[in-house]
Amino acid sequence: MIQADVPALEITELRKTYGSLEALRGVDFQLHQGERLAFLGPNGAGKTTLIRCLAGRTRPTHGKINVFGLPIESPGVRNALGLVPQDLALYSDLTTRENLTVFARFHGVPRRNLKERVQWALQWTGLTDRAGELVGGFSGGMKRRVNLACGVMHRPQVILLDEPTVGVDPQSRERLFTMLDDLNRQGASILLTTHHLDEAQQRSDRIVILDQGQVIADGTIDQLVNRTVGPSRLVKVRVDRPLTAPVWISGHTGPQHLRQVGAAGQDRFETRIDDVTTDISRLLDAIRNSGYLVSDMEVQAPSLHHVFLHLTGHELRD
Amino acid sequence: MIGTVIQISLRRLVHSRAELVLTFVVPIAFFSVFALIFGNGIGSGTMPKVKVVAVDLAATPASGQMITSLRTNEGLRFMASENPDQPLTTRQATRMIRQGVVTIGIIVKQSDGHPMTAELLADASDQVAGQVVAAMVSREMAIGNAKQAAQQQRVVRRPPVESVAPIDPLANTVPIIDVMGKDKTNPVVSMYAAGIAVMFLLFGATGGGGALLEERENTTLDRLLSTQLTMDQLLLGKWFYLSGLGFVQVCVMFLWGQLIFGVDLWGHLDGFVMMTVVTSGAAAAFGLFLATLCKTRGQLNGLSVILVLTMSALGGSMVPRYLMSAKMRELGLWTFNAWALDGYDKVFWRDLPVETLWPQLAVLMGAGVAFLLVARALAIRWEFD
Repeated sequence: MIQADVPALEITELRKTYGSLEALRGVDFQLHQGERLAFLGPNGAGKTTLIRCLAGRTRPTHGKINVFGLPIESPGVRNALGLVPQDLALYSDLTTRENLTVFARFHGVPRRNLKERVQWALQWTGLTDRAGELVGGFSGGMKRRVNLACGVMHRPQVILLDEPTVGVDPQSRERLFTMLDDLNRQGASILLTTHHLDEAQQRSDRIVILDQGQVIADGTIDQLVNRTVGPSRLVKVRVDRPLTAPVWISGHTGPQHLRQVGAAGQDRFETRIDDVTTDISRLLDAIRNSGYLVSDMEVQAPSLHHVFLHLTGHELRD
Repeated sequence: MIGTVIQISLRRLVHSRAELVLTFVVPIAFFSVFALIFGNGIGSGTMPKVKVVAVDLAATPASGQMITSLRTNEGLRFMASENPDQPLTTRQATRMIRQGVVTIGIIVKQSDGHPMTAELLADASDQVAGQVVAAMVSREMAIGNAKQAAQQQRVVRRPPVESVAPIDPLANTVPIIDVMGKDKTNPVVSMYAAGIAVMFLLFGATGGGGALLEERENTTLDRLLSTQLTMDQLLLGKWFYLSGLGFVQVCVMFLWGQLIFGVDLWGHLDGFVMMTVVTSGAAAAFGLFLATLCKTRGQLNGLSVILVLTMSALGGSMVPRYLMSAKMRELGLWTFNAWALDGYDKVFWRDLPVETLWPQLAVLMGAGVAFLLVARALAIRWEFD
């Protein structure tokens, strides 16, 4: 029985080693019921290993995974999970309907519900008119939709998606997320690993960042921004001619907090402002008073991109 | 679950025309080519030792000498009779031929005052042995009869020139009596049907086993094993499917043989079904064993072609085993082509009762179970990282 106050997924001190390599080094986090959680991390951070542990494809070396309060090894518990793998794990020489049918049966959908579930999946994916066609001939986006549907035929309460939008165009991505939102509205909890940070920011309630086998950040986008790069906006300015000297701007607490921006010989500079309403006008006044005209200006709010790079650094992780 | 695995495999087969052609048309084409060539008696090879027994109905010193002389011939291998203390009878020799213990029975006769005569009881499935042994016996008989004639001359002391009877060119001809296939419409073709069928069973099973590697390579296997499907169910489903497909494949082959080449399928249905079920099961298990042994589909393709062709060549699917040396024949018993073909040979050629199939059925079943168990053990590495 599912209790409302019990997390859909609870991962405690999860470790996985392959020989001398520690892929997971004590991962702890929870996925709440009905929550959409984005699971981020650079390449090799341990995301896929974690998904494989959850899907029962690899045995953790240490730690605990509970699904709705029950150990994942308990009989029938794994049925609450639906895995959508990163690769298109489909039978390309079967039709859409045949793929949906066989995966529904492998997931234990009773024979009496099979037809209704397949019909639902065809409508949900928008592939009713392509039901009898071989999946091998579909576009990447259509295959992704079938791939997603095959993982949720048994109405799982927790959906594990390992980079479900790899290699698809923006329209298809939008469609896939609309499909996921449908499931989420019906109560499914979603754990999504992705490299599309904008996707994670817009389509999730909470973000967990994993690096080198450990959780290094966990919270909403605002919480992560406040804890890392801070809420200040980045302002990029271009003036009508190169500066002869830096521009002096007074701080928001008064002229005693003067600071300089830009450098002699450059016509572009950047600065940070805490309050857009007051600090922008102060910056523009300072530029005008120094004898320059603003040619262009851009204000950037702190994003997950900045948070991610702040936490994981700029080094390649190939 | 197992039914679903079978359903997937069947549907994938239906969607693949190339696989359908490979499964049903290519074997028939190969069989037809082989049947046309060997069914017309063309294509003999080197002369291995022919298994024979001798029945000395004459029981004279000359006939004994002739048989002793034949025993020293390197081309013949005299087999012991069931009861070595008693002289062998024609009936016993016929039974030994029917059971496949020997290929030729040499019957030596002599009436009072006449020269020795001989006839050969033969298993006509060996189209070479009869002719070769006939030539050997004919030669030894001519020598024996000449000696006998010379002795008789010395006894009556007549001048040699006038007393020697004119040489009858047909006197030393050795007739060959087929004790196996005289009532059969097209007896030899059934052997080739079996040979080709078993070879293509192996090809089909290894190709089908390759689907497992394909699933592994495109990560479908990973996904399947994250559902309620277990590796046991997956392997068993594939084994049932491959066995069933193999059974249908062989049935189609023999039906074709019956329609076009006159193989008596309906007259041997019980033995045929028993042999085909067991052989298909063993071949399917072999295919899965090879698939789980290999890492990639390419590796499997290479290995299976080599192994299947070698096994087929040694086991008698390509060239009849009676054309092989004794050593090669013994080597052939390590292949299950040889056991399967021996079983089909007992059913279609020797008309033996199905009880006599137990060694072939036992070996093939044992091989099937062993291959399946090893395949299961090898597949453990795919279950978890």
